[in-house]
Amino acid sequence: MSFLIRATAIAALLHITPVVVLVKRPAAVQTLLPGADAYVAREVHLSATDAHRLHEGVDWSPEDGVLVFYGGTAGSTSVGALEFVRVDTPHGPIEVAVGFTPQGAVRGVVVTKATIEMKPWVLEAVAAGLTDYYRGLKPGGEAPRGAAGIASRAGNLATYVAGEVDKGVARALAAYGAFYNHVRA
Amino acid sequence: MLYDLRRADIRIKWLVTGLLATLGLSYVFGAVMVALYAGFTPQRVAATYAGPEMSMAMPPETTVVVQRPMAMADFAKPEVHTVDSALLIQDTHVHVPMYGLIAAALGVVVVGLSVSRRWALGLIVLLFAAPWLDFAGMWLTKFASPRFAIVTLAGGWAMGVAYLIVTALAIHQMWLSRERS
Repeated sequence: MSFLIRATAIAALLHITPVVVLVKRPAAVQTLLPGADAYVAREVHLSATDAHRLHEGVDWSPEDGVLVFYGGTAGSTSVGALEFVRVDTPHGPIEVAVGFTPQGAVRGVVVTKATIEMKPWVLEAVAAGLTDYYRGLKPGGEAPRGAAGIASRAGNLATYVAGEVDKGVARALAAYGAFYNHVRA
Repeated sequence: MLYDLRRADIRIKWLVTGLLATLGLSYVFGAVMVALYAGFTPQRVAATYAGPEMSMAMPPETTVVVQRPMAMADFAKPEVHTVDSALLIQDTHVHVPMYGLIAAALGVVVVGLSVSRRWALGLIVLLFAAPWLDFAGMWLTKFASPRFAIVTLAGGWAMGVAYLIVTALAIHQMWLSRERS
């Protein structure tokens, strides 16, 4: 009987809660590509070699081996690009939108999805100023350190989820740096 | 028989009733969750589990880029909830033990029912076959053919039907039957 109770408790603890939308994609696009009036989706289908290189760099393989960047323009002027990156955690997936300026620096980061369990942790981390730590980062430069930045004023779980957001930003930086402008359409 | 729910102690009857009611509640919300995230038609289940992995199994020899214009409305389109291999591994790891425990708990109720040995064995087989069908369908949909989505649907419905049969028989025999004591 005690085995049954323990097994039930473990199964309940491990149960992944459903994913909820924290910020709708159009809202994230408007925030990260301000003023854009036209958009283009740039799908980069990675070769096995490039996929392996990306995996070695940031321990990540994009879903189906395809990176999708969304570029925005206002008239004929580029406003920048953004990526939605999924991070799988033991508590379920989160999705992070990372926007870049035309100069290739991070303009902003929005956490768009999380599981119901992680939602309060994400909200606490964002309220503690998590996304401020990513602004201005460039591919090949300093690593994202949002978790370390908020550790002194956020709880353990918010700091934990900030570490997962760090991973998402690191992946977006690596993908953008290696594949956004360096592969011709 | 030593264990007969019709003549069981009132504490056992309430325990079984509480278990069945609680499982029923979780099944109702399980159905709502399926409706929200996967759907009840073979097409929607196939879209959830097969995903684009079926159409592009091999990476290109060199990295290629495809560009297409988008409107803001395209970002607002409802996304199909998809389950990739990694998430399916995690789901199987987490759900199958729980399904096993639920089938075992309902199987213990079946053992206390006044039904023929053949019926009891059939119900126990159904209770355990349902989650097997459910997850076998998901894996086959992903790696064999989207047509196997029907197996997942069969598993889900079998789970619901098995629960309803066990619950109806148990409630009837414990609380309504003339032979109860």
